[in-house]
Amino acid sequence: APAIAQGNITWRMVTTWPKNFPGLGVGAQRLADRITAASGGRLTVQVYSAGELVPPLQSLDAVIDGTAEMSHGAAYYWQNKSPALSFFTGVPYGMTTGELTAWVRFMGGQEIWDEIYDQFGVQGFLSGNTGNQTGGWFRDELTSLESVKGLRFRTPGLGGQVWEKLGATVTNMAAGEIFQALQSGTLDAAEFVGPYNDLALGFHQVAKNYYMPSFVEPGLATELVVDKTKYQELPADLQAIIRDVSQAEYDQVSADFIANDPRALKTLVEDHGVQVRDFPADIMEAGAKASKEVLDGLLGSDDPLVKKTAESFVDSLKITRVRTERIDSKFQEARELYLDL
Amino acid sequence: MLRLIALLASGICRINWLIGQVFSWLSLGIVLVCFTVVVQRYVFGVSFLWMQDLYIWLSGAMFTAVAGFALMRDDHVRVDIFYRPARIRTRALVDLFGTVLFLLPFTGVVLIYSLPFVRRSWSYAEGSANVGGMPGLYILKSFIIAFAALLALQGVALICRSVLVLAGRRDLVPAAIRYPETGADAEAAAIEGMH
Amino acid sequence: MDPVLIGEILAGLMFFGIIGFLLLGYPVAFTLAGVSLMFGAVGWFFGVFDPSNFGALPNRYIGFMTSEVLVAVPLFIFMGVMLERSRIAEQLLLTMGKLFGNLRGGLGISVILVGAMLAASTGVVGATVVTMGLISLPAMLRAGYDPKLSTGVICASGTLGQIVPPSTVLIFMGDMLSGINSQVQMAKGNYAPVPVSVGDLFAGALLPGFMLVGLYLAYTIFKAITDPESCPATPVPAEEKANLLREVFSALIPPLLLILAVLGSILGGIATPTEAASVGAVGAMVLAALRWRLSFTILRETVIATATITSMVFIVLLGASVFSVVFRLMGGDNLVHEFLSTLPGGRLMAVAMVMAIMFLLGFILDTFEIIFIVIPITAPVLLMMDVDPIWLGVLVGVNLQTSFLTPPFGFALFYLRGVAPPDLPTWAIYRGIIPFVGLQILAIALLFAFPGIVTWLPRLIAG
Ligand code: NA
Ligand code: NA
Repeated sequence: APAIAQGNITWRMVTTWPKNFPGLGVGAQRLADRITAASGGRLTVQVYSAGELVPPLQSLDAVIDGTAEMSHGAAYYWQNKSPALSFFTGVPYGMTTGELTAWVRFMGGQEIWDEIYDQFGVQGFLSGNTGNQTGGWFRDELTSLESVKGLRFRTPGLGGQVWEKLGATVTNMAAGEIFQALQSGTLDAAEFVGPYNDLALGFHQVAKNYYMPSFVEPGLATELVVDKTKYQELPADLQAIIRDVSQAEYDQVSADFIANDPRALKTLVEDHGVQVRDFPADIMEAGAKASKEVLDGLLGSDDPLVKKTAESFVDSLKITRVRTERIDSKFQEARELYLDL
Repeated sequence: MLRLIALLASGICRINWLIGQVFSWLSLGIVLVCFTVVVQRYVFGVSFLWMQDLYIWLSGAMFTAVAGFALMRDDHVRVDIFYRPARIRTRALVDLFGTVLFLLPFTGVVLIYSLPFVRRSWSYAEGSANVGGMPGLYILKSFIIAFAALLALQGVALICRSVLVLAGRRDLVPAAIRYPETGADAEAAAIEGMH
Repeated sequence: MDPVLIGEILAGLMFFGIIGFLLLGYPVAFTLAGVSLMFGAVGWFFGVFDPSNFGALPNRYIGFMTSEVLVAVPLFIFMGVMLERSRIAEQLLLTMGKLFGNLRGGLGISVILVGAMLAASTGVVGATVVTMGLISLPAMLRAGYDPKLSTGVICASGTLGQIVPPSTVLIFMGDMLSGINSQVQMAKGNYAPVPVSVGDLFAGALLPGFMLVGLYLAYTIFKAITDPESCPATPVPAEEKANLLREVFSALIPPLLLILAVLGSILGGIATPTEAASVGAVGAMVLAALRWRLSFTILRETVIATATITSMVFIVLLGASVFSVVFRLMGGDNLVHEFLSTLPGGRLMAVAMVMAIMFLLGFILDTFEIIFIVIPITAPVLLMMDVDPIWLGVLVGVNLQTSFLTPPFGFALFYLRGVAPPDLPTWAIYRGIIPFVGLQILAIALLFAFPGIVTWLPRLIAG
């Protein structure tokens, strides 16, 4: 291509987030800026945030069609293209941030992901992680599994299927519409990400019961998707820059959430009178059972690629959970119990 | 030849007329499905995601499908300060110019860019982005192609009309798209009559 | 030459090019799209526009076709058309006329009230003014009303419905402003912004709508006192008087309740505009059925009118998308940003400038076209300057209404001219509207001086 011969290329990145959206939108912009800087301007990435060029949920299509070269979003938004894509964002009762990183980088996840995205001529990279999300904002307190029945709850994807099995009436709507629906009573409850983002969406103005942790979204990854052909046409160093900046940003975004979620939570509790609550145990338990059913459904899928992804995911989780539960959790329990700071 | 052109124009008008008659009823569908969702939600406390998708999709299908019909009926807004009082020949010229330079390039670009988009959607039988939503998003996406194609067809009918009028055979123009006469036309006819 | 500069020059030229070509009279939606494509091609030639950007079009289109918020548009249109075709609206007007007919100015008052309630549930200026003109003008002239006052009242109240909710104009404006607001607040680093919704815009428009109704009523009453000849009472015959109470209950109360229920459930936070609109549409059918007017013919007319009006409005949106894509990617956004943010006088001057441009566009374009073109390119800059989005939306509504009423180019005047009796002189229409234009200017000044007229109610509802 002539642009490469001249040495300078401009790529368009569309995102599913608003510009400057805490953690995620900021991360997309920073990723773009770092690629531009690291390449000395040879590859300049121009960011178009949600709706500027295409509607947020059309970002992947925009890359496939060549309207943009990159998209920054979450793979589970595209579960209608392949249900297997949910695994690369996160699944109910699934992997934690660290476990997902391990699976994708060291346990065959990336290879399967490439196989899925090859069908669309694109390539995916992990580009950020929100960490374990919160369970959601509920207008009324939950006393037991019984109080979930008929609850109108906004939660997308496989998490939505789990809540549906628990008896909730589940809907999905875009970030900008949730507040209004919660306010008007069209929704009884909603979840988005965690304190850092939720504060920005104003849910605390309407619902005061803030439940955590989320058991359906335990560490959700965002993705950078690039046009595969154009990516492979790049000189090797630019390819490396895209890959490595994504990896660096994955950690940067995680750190951003770890630093700022607790600060936002403090604001919510101290300035806005939000009640932080645990889900009743029977909800957590029924949630696990429902998550298992959803996972079993994917393991038994007719689509060989979905089946393969689910199997790889489950096999890896069986391995990594030993470390998480035996070491990380034990330590965290102990620290909570014994360390007084 | 002119008769053939007239035949083509009236054939196209028939197609868009029929489509307009059929797809307009989707508006009643939107009302009824949405109302059902409201009753289910507020009275019975249940809702089905696919029904929510359904009334939204019906609206998308309706306004794209009837675009050509609306063009046939001349429902699309014009800035008519100069257009409306102008002579029929002038209006025919404007419509010829606009169809060739504006409408057909627009529908062409939409067709070119939506064909791969829609084809891909078919290839994996894309459904709603909502879990538990409607299947068949590829059908809704196909309406973008139908929209461009039906508009382009009606554009061809408009070109035919302009050609007939400019060739002095406005009597051959199908009734559905005949230009209303204005004062300017009467004047022109009077002047022509004096010669 | 610097490619950025070339892009900005082309974007600027495109705006004026479109206005020039629009005057030819080819349908607006396609002229918008076609001229934008031409400029895109020129930009491609100069290397400042990549045609692959048009791939954004199908993506945007499917976004409109799957928008839950925008489905309220066909639903409200259906409701409005059903009330009109089943002649419930006409009956409402006649009954109202009888109710107030004994008073001087009473017929004018009833036209204003009905106009405010029903008008522009379709949101299309021409359609509403034509309907009002056909129903009310002959009645007013027959009652001996001054033609100037009659036409003024009809034009003003026929365009008022765009602002008084429910209004399809406000739905589109709310949808656009809500997205732009969230973008802008994040960009400003405000991580806890107050979201804006269609419901908020409805709430914000309610008091200004009432204020306009109040101003029109005050003027009519003023005329009735100072110039009784201009709006005589129309005594109701005794036998009709006897039936009046029954008529009020059958013709007036049901549609009134329906409109109040729809609006109340939105403002009261019980239902979303889309949900409430579907109830309104079914309610309109029920009212028609109760009067034995829900025939197949009327249903067929209603669905066809609903479908074609909806299509017409959305196709303008699709055409305007082509404009947005080309304008934005050639750097037009920067151009607008530089222009508005360097104006002396800061924020208010910037708003005033945008309003002036919209006012002028109002001479050739209808509401939807103007907001689809102007809001996406100017609102981000204005909101960045801390302009309140709800106030901006309502101000745009009142401003455009004023434009449609202002002689000699006001849209509403043309449309009324088209249906007025031929012996009614055009200058009477122009003269008649002048006091109302004065009231509009007063209203705009009040909105500038007291933004709380708009923002108080939405804040109260939000708590
Ligand atoms: Na979430
Ligand atoms: Na209205």
